[in-house]
Amino acid sequence: MAASEYHRRSRHLERVESVTADETVRHVDQLDSDTLETVYEAVENDRPIPATEFGLEEGEIIVFTDYYRVNRA
Amino acid sequence: MTHYVIIGDGISGSSAAETLREEDPDAKITVITDEGEPLYNRILIKEHAKGKLPEAPISIHEEEWYEDRDIELSLNTHVTGVDPDAKLVHTHEGADIEYDKLLVATGGTPTQLPVDNSDADGVHHFWTFEDARGIREHAERADKGVIVGAGLLGIDFAAVCGAQGIEADFLMRGDRWWRYALSADGAEIMHDGMREVGVDPVFDSGVDRFETDDDGHINAAVDPNGERYECDFAGVAIGLTFNTEFLRGAGLEENNGIVVDEYMQTNVDDIYAAGDITRFYDVLLGEQAQNGSWGSAKEQGRVAAVNMAADDTEEEFQWVSSYSITHFDFPFLSFGHPTLGDEHAERRYSDTEWRRIAFKDGKIVGGVLIGDLSPQSKFKQLMREQRVVSDQADVLLEQQVDLDELAPTQGQE
Repeated sequence: MAASEYHRRSRHLERVESVTADETVRHVDQLDSDTLETVYEAVENDRPIPATEFGLEEGEIIVFTDYYRVNRA
Repeated sequence: MTHYVIIGDGISGSSAAETLREEDPDAKITVITDEGEPLYNRILIKEHAKGKLPEAPISIHEEEWYEDRDIELSLNTHVTGVDPDAKLVHTHEGADIEYDKLLVATGGTPTQLPVDNSDADGVHHFWTFEDARGIREHAERADKGVIVGAGLLGIDFAAVCGAQGIEADFLMRGDRWWRYALSADGAEIMHDGMREVGVDPVFDSGVDRFETDDDGHINAAVDPNGERYECDFAGVAIGLTFNTEFLRGAGLEENNGIVVDEYMQTNVDDIYAAGDITRFYDVLLGEQAQNGSWGSAKEQGRVAAVNMAADDTEEEFQWVSSYSITHFDFPFLSFGHPTLGDEHAERRYSDTEWRRIAFKDGKIVGGVLIGDLSPQSKFKQLMREQRVVSDQADVLLEQQVDLDELAPTQGQE
């Protein structure tokens, strides 16, 4: 995958203060171990989520130590 | 046509229904629940009680989900008995439902404290979405709280109090929170987290009785030492009583839960069980165990359904569970069976980082990670591989765990 394509497809986690009724929300305990690791690394190290991570849906909110929305990078 | 009846529409029952429809497209499937709403996200109801999450994202299934899959859903229906000889399920409405294969996934009900006024207005237990709605409504106007139950469910009440601005005392029987899995070092990090949100842990305490005002509303908890804690809100989370009363006379083996093998089969033909209610044979642990995590319940429901549809022992349940606490600004994760094992290793890395690993026969069977979750998937991998590693605990306690540093064990390379 070309670098530009990689960045186009990769995602990042944005901390959000509130959640609206129409949003999809999951708790980290609903994620498999690898996806949990990805979320943890992204939060701890402010790292983008690789394009190869299929366990997260764009736009969904993940409940971890804060609420994080999965956004396109 | 085979008729599968599932009692319980939590994640294990619902997961089983979905799997059964996939495995047996022509079967008749009935799901019975005493709750008034279809499957919701039980992990997230605490976020609703904290006032942070609206109701809608917590619902998982609408009634249409069942209709679309030709699954009959009976809400608000209490099962009063099971007759395994006649293969009948009796309900409170007097209906007899025939089954070919039955799955019991009824979970538990919070245990009430055996003390005076434990059912007073303002004393809450936390298990259903309806409980969470009541807790939220009350917490928004409460000022002073008391929490009882120094475990994974009790700390949710601490988080609710913290988020809702309730100044609270957390009355614990021992000298620390979750003393079966945490040493003083690990527990102190959690105590600090509680204090930061306005919840004061009180040790060697508990509740001897609750006191009420003239209207029957709680106004104090008195501990066994005679100390009186004023409160207008109380959260009790001392454990679950498993919902097996309706199985009396059915002949199912019980041992603080329904005993099942690794295929989710009970000792009675054509009756299976899944979810919190089971005491299952854990193939990784090598003995019967219990687990209340979401992922474990979901997988047990799926595995039970696969074996029910196959009418055989097609797939065994093998799972490493996770349970997270996400209420504080540091993460907490317990995995596997952290309260079991015959050997333990632990280390504190900072004021917010601590790690403990439980071993049985040299193999990892569980652990707790506070602050730094980076080794979680590696530890789970070692659990699944059942590698003997307790003699190399120093490698596992390095801040950055490198599995390549582990010496291959004889016969395990």
